[in-house]
Amino acid sequence: MSFFAFLHRQRANWLGLLGAALLVLLLALALAGPWLGLPDPTRGDLRARMMAPTISWAGLGVHPLGTDQLGRDILSRIIAGSRVTLTIAGSAVILGGIVGVLLGLVAGYFGGWYDRVLMRLVDIQLAFPLMLLALLVVAALGPNLQNLIAVLALTSWVRYARIIRAQVLTVREREFVQAALAMGAGHARLLLRHILPNVLTPALVVATLELARTIVLEAGLSFLGLGIQPPAPSWGRMLADGRTYIASAWWIITLPGLALMLTVLSVNLLGDWLRDWLDPRADRH
Amino acid sequence: MRSKVFARRFVAALAFGVSSTAALTPAAARDLTIALSSNINTLDPDKSTTVGTDLSVAAHIYTPLVDRGPDLKLRPGLATKWEAIGDTAWRFTLREGVAFSNGEKLDAEAVKWNVERVLDPKTGARNKPWFTAISEVKAISPTVVEFVTKGAYPDLPDQMSMFLLMPPKWTAENNPSIAALGSGPYELVRFASGDRVVLKARKDYWGEKPAFDNVTFRIIPEDSSRIAALEAGDVDLITAFPTSEIARIKAGGKAEAGSVAGTRGMFIKLNGLKTPFKDNPKLWRALNLGIDRKAINDGLLDGLAQVSACQPLSPVYFGFNPDLKPAPYDPTQAKKLLAEAGFANELTMDLEVPTGRYIQASDIAQVVASQLGEIGVTVKLREMEFGAFMNKYIVAKNLGDSAYFGLGWPTLDAGGLLNFWERENPQSYWDNASFNEGAKAARSTNDAAKRTELYRKLTKQLCEDSPSIFMFFTPITYAQSKGIAWQARGDDWVRAIDIKTR
Repeated sequence: MSFFAFLHRQRANWLGLLGAALLVLLLALALAGPWLGLPDPTRGDLRARMMAPTISWAGLGVHPLGTDQLGRDILSRIIAGSRVTLTIAGSAVILGGIVGVLLGLVAGYFGGWYDRVLMRLVDIQLAFPLMLLALLVVAALGPNLQNLIAVLALTSWVRYARIIRAQVLTVREREFVQAALAMGAGHARLLLRHILPNVLTPALVVATLELARTIVLEAGLSFLGLGIQPPAPSWGRMLADGRTYIASAWWIITLPGLALMLTVLSVNLLGDWLRDWLDPRADRH
Repeated sequence: MRSKVFARRFVAALAFGVSSTAALTPAAARDLTIALSSNINTLDPDKSTTVGTDLSVAAHIYTPLVDRGPDLKLRPGLATKWEAIGDTAWRFTLREGVAFSNGEKLDAEAVKWNVERVLDPKTGARNKPWFTAISEVKAISPTVVEFVTKGAYPDLPDQMSMFLLMPPKWTAENNPSIAALGSGPYELVRFASGDRVVLKARKDYWGEKPAFDNVTFRIIPEDSSRIAALEAGDVDLITAFPTSEIARIKAGGKAEAGSVAGTRGMFIKLNGLKTPFKDNPKLWRALNLGIDRKAINDGLLDGLAQVSACQPLSPVYFGFNPDLKPAPYDPTQAKKLLAEAGFANELTMDLEVPTGRYIQASDIAQVVASQLGEIGVTVKLREMEFGAFMNKYIVAKNLGDSAYFGLGWPTLDAGGLLNFWERENPQSYWDNASFNEGAKAARSTNDAAKRTELYRKLTKQLCEDSPSIFMFFTPITYAQSKGIAWQARGDDWVRAIDIKTR
């Protein structure tokens, strides 16, 4: 199946493809950021503070998306901020995913006490407001990159664990698992070779939805001043800085807000499409 | 018949209406709404020392012995005059016949009771430190009260301008944190913490009748929301927003805006108790020369701040040293000094920045960090919520390398402010024997001339040796509706009694 044939077959899901395309564009910008020749996102020129966006049909101008309250280029800050945001959110989703999948496997496969303890832990954490948990942990440990990733992973593992456990419960009883068991396969082999590959698909869908949620949560923490420390740029922080100037310099808050919205939207669209596409029961166009 | 009566009444009402607008316009109810940026936590004037919010509101209901007017000078309040009796006592003469609104007398005995309430550990008063130097309050006659102090207490009258007097009987029977009854120009209508405080003018107030019948304080934390509320006509006075908004509010044409020189000095406090700043004045001097205060003032504060003259005091403080000049910006010399101090290649330091308290703190700290970067100092910013910072700073006594911090002292006296560098103060983070002795000596006399001389020496020493980099006094920004005229002031008081109609 060529790429174009794939696109053609997915034409009814153009929203999902749009999301994927936007995300690819964002990733490309984030990766290429340092080589785009943009102004330093952490160095400002106080004489050029709060300059309006200069982008127009005629060209980009000096500061295409304007400058912020310290005279820093907003475009380069949005791109540098996307690196920060995607690094934190991506790492947190992967870390939370690994932990959540492993614990879900254990709970579903072994059952009994493992299951009961783990699932009550999940219940407790789901009952606890995630933002509050994140706030408490960051306030106690101090805001830095590692702590942020850890705390966001902490808020995210439960969803994987829940879904993987449910999957394992059904897969565990299937004939091929029973057959492997009869042939004398050990726990590790059963779990990793026979069960894991069959429960990974839903984990992938959870991961995309978690990515969107984590990006928003990270922005929220940064907004409250508990994110990565200035002058390093982050979207939530840019929103917080800009709200005071919303009436005099709308671009400081609006443009990072748009970037955040588009990113979360595209991740969500991609997630929806993945869920439909990977679901064996759904009608595949 | 009925319609006739109605018609007659209607005409009468109309006639009354006409006559009342003609003759009684000045008596129409005049309302005033002031927006504050932080919550009112309590109405009990002894349970707070925050002038900008709690005490400002309480000052409408209660009155002090001595009042600080908008010109920042003391003027008579309940006391008509006051004088020092030697170095260990102050005598106040009270107005005759002043009563609380429930009829309780406000005489010397009531003043004595108020001081005792603060000193009683059961009260849990926050303003207790102002009174620990008072050994006895003597009610000499109903209108003469004497404060006997343990040593000299030169700024006692200034401190009394923040001490609001409560009625003894009523206080014993009510919860003054949420209710209030005093001798001031206003009485409490409603207190909704986190939202608003509603006051109305007292009919039987003993002093000058205030300009407004109804005064409401609303809590609006967000700067942009406060500005929007003013422009929409919902509130009449707002303060403490970024200086860049002044021009925009003026241009909008719906309100007036401006700023006055503030009395809170901002500085970078270096931790002089640990390396690298311990006993290293050269390093301090290097950093002092490496900060371009004028660029920060012009760039971020529209030039409205007052650059510090190398001391924590501004010219309105008693004890200001006019001989000291602001530190120049000299990066070349700064680099040289840095090398002499042993940090030719690299110095990395943390700068703690409390958030949500000082105007544009985060922006200013970022610019300071980049300016110090130019002379080869890597500054790592550590932002933290103000409460968390104060905990670390005062309770845990665990300040990082440095912090961006501000201090003002509402008595406008060098004594209160300079003590913050004395070793025994929990906020000191500096141990200098000659400074500690000097501060103690200055506190031991009520003689103004002697104190001036001693404070000149102390400020000079702070300028030469201190591990603090004095930055500027941030401006107090304000905007008001066109119908009122606030006598803008550089300390934190925000009171309806300082506002006139136009």
